[in-house]
Amino acid sequence: MSQTITIDPVTRLEGHGKITIQLNPQGEVEDANFHVTQVRGFERFTEGRPFYEMPGLMARICGICPVSHLIASAKACEAIMSVHIPHTAAQLRRMLNLAQMVQSHALSFFYLSSPDLLLGLDSDPVARNILGVAAAKPELGRAGVGLRRFGQSIIELLGNKRIHPGWVVPGGVTEPLSTEKRDKILAMIPEAYANIALALDAYKKIANTFKAEIAVFANFPSNYMSLINEEESIEFTDGALRLIGPTGQTIEDGMTATRFTEVIGEAVEPYSYTKFAYYKPLGYPDGSYRVGPLARLNIVKSIGTPKAEKEFAEFKQLAAGPVESSFHYHHARLIEILYGIEKIEEILADPRILGKHVRATAGVNRLEGVGQAEAPRGVLHHHYKVDDNGKITWANLVIATGQNNKAMNLGVLQAAKHYVKDGKFTEGMLNRIEAVVRTFDPCLSCSTHAFGKMPLAVTLVSAQGEELDRVVRD
Amino acid sequence: MSTEPAQPMRFEKANCLVLACGNTLRSDDGIGPRLAEWAAQRFRNDSNVRVVARQQWTPDLAKDIADADSVLFVDSSVSSAPGHVRLTPVAPHSSNSADATSHPATHHIDPPELLGLTRELYGSLSAHAMLLTVGAGSMELGETFSESVEAAIPRARGVLEKAVLRFLDN
Repeated sequence: MSQTITIDPVTRLEGHGKITIQLNPQGEVEDANFHVTQVRGFERFTEGRPFYEMPGLMARICGICPVSHLIASAKACEAIMSVHIPHTAAQLRRMLNLAQMVQSHALSFFYLSSPDLLLGLDSDPVARNILGVAAAKPELGRAGVGLRRFGQSIIELLGNKRIHPGWVVPGGVTEPLSTEKRDKILAMIPEAYANIALALDAYKKIANTFKAEIAVFANFPSNYMSLINEEESIEFTDGALRLIGPTGQTIEDGMTATRFTEVIGEAVEPYSYTKFAYYKPLGYPDGSYRVGPLARLNIVKSIGTPKAEKEFAEFKQLAAGPVESSFHYHHARLIEILYGIEKIEEILADPRILGKHVRATAGVNRLEGVGQAEAPRGVLHHHYKVDDNGKITWANLVIATGQNNKAMNLGVLQAAKHYVKDGKFTEGMLNRIEAVVRTFDPCLSCSTHAFGKMPLAVTLVSAQGEELDRVVRD
Repeated sequence: MSTEPAQPMRFEKANCLVLACGNTLRSDDGIGPRLAEWAAQRFRNDSNVRVVARQQWTPDLAKDIADADSVLFVDSSVSSAPGHVRLTPVAPHSSNSADATSHPATHHIDPPELLGLTRELYGSLSAHAMLLTVGAGSMELGETFSESVEAAIPRARGVLEKAVLRFLDN
């Protein structure tokens, strides 16, 4: 008789999800699915709204990465307007997006994953949380809080709000940066460097103790996609897409937003409300790919800032080609935080950042537009169509979590095959399967555009469909 | 609004943090931010009072608490009768506590957990920590309060004001 294991909800994620593990009559794992159980809404209720409202509306999808939605949305609107935004505005947006990346990565690493990494995957679940980390490693807890506050403070300074700032608008930003605000941000940078140095040092000391997890946490060949700039360095706000294959070979390069519909498709699976994005020329599922920090570091030839470049060189030693295990998302995240701090400092060192020309204006000059930006979890695409009056007639969003969806499912299957034996799991096994999903830092609210309640649920199902075991945690 | 006169202030006062929580789009859940708005106005000339309102309390706020001598948490409550105003002391949660009901999350952390986190991270604890709650009658989508909560606002303001002034004097 075959069986199914259900984990419901999967905890410490940005959203609600569920994992089902199907066993064969011998009690071995046959299949596993990561279900996202929330429903969509944003694309429909924005129909009829003026296009220039879209950044403010779309940013409401998520409280963690609203800035990326703001930027991708504003860029889609600018495609409709046919404008290029002023250099200062582009740099200010870049800084805002980097600040959001820093705070979001800090949340993922310190709040969501550090309880597993620092306290151990088999540690007492009652204390395996941020309070437990604070008690065991207060210096790292402080570093996490410090980095979150660093990113959030910059967002608040620039956008006048910590969450859902309305500062980014079609055409640029609403107001220039003042000298006072620039100096406030610069004053926070030394502490941010100290905090990320502490975290990188701590992570590198413990990473080797997770060899068993590294081996089975979504550790398989795949394609990777991210934005990249002309220097083949990391790029969060502009640039064009590059897709590489399992050996690191470039499959396609220079994919600008105008080619979005030619290259990105979305498949549907019956068990999830999140779609499965893929590279159209390869079809589904062969064209599935991973996005986010691991993809970005696998794709770029350099980071582009000196401190992060050294860390990147060390990261590249993990594999001859692309670094495959999703466990290494954690490491990549920390390197990107360091890059973000350096890049923000670099942007602020340029006096042009205080420039007063920060917004281009225009009406509707095209009836369709696509905007792309890197969110912390991976590249984000906003695609809008409007009528002659600029009212939205159709909208579609392709989110990082949808693009990582196939890899997350395969990752859960790989881990389940390794950890589930004889149709049973222990707390340690359960947490490891959840931890695979956590490495991707999926945002389920974004991927389904739901009003989110947070936590995920694992079900153990027999070959006859009988539910044998189920774990539900709020 | 409270008609009670404010207490005279001392020359040197402790720093007080008013930390409110709630969703202004969820009817009575918005009472925390509404009271915070009032507190910010009431104490606008007092640099010793800092008012912070959030949709949810998150671990990052531990630093704000560590920097304050006293903290007044302000929130709605579903376990009190609608409109019932309560002021209760708050003790820090211990990370080793066997309290199985406590599961600190990234999106929401309660006052005892926030105090516990502050103590663990910064080795400090506010000398005084209180929680002011107003019993909620409705948490449905909406930007207006239920009659019970609307009627309780003057009393809640009075309790908030007294608590802050007492903190400042201590």
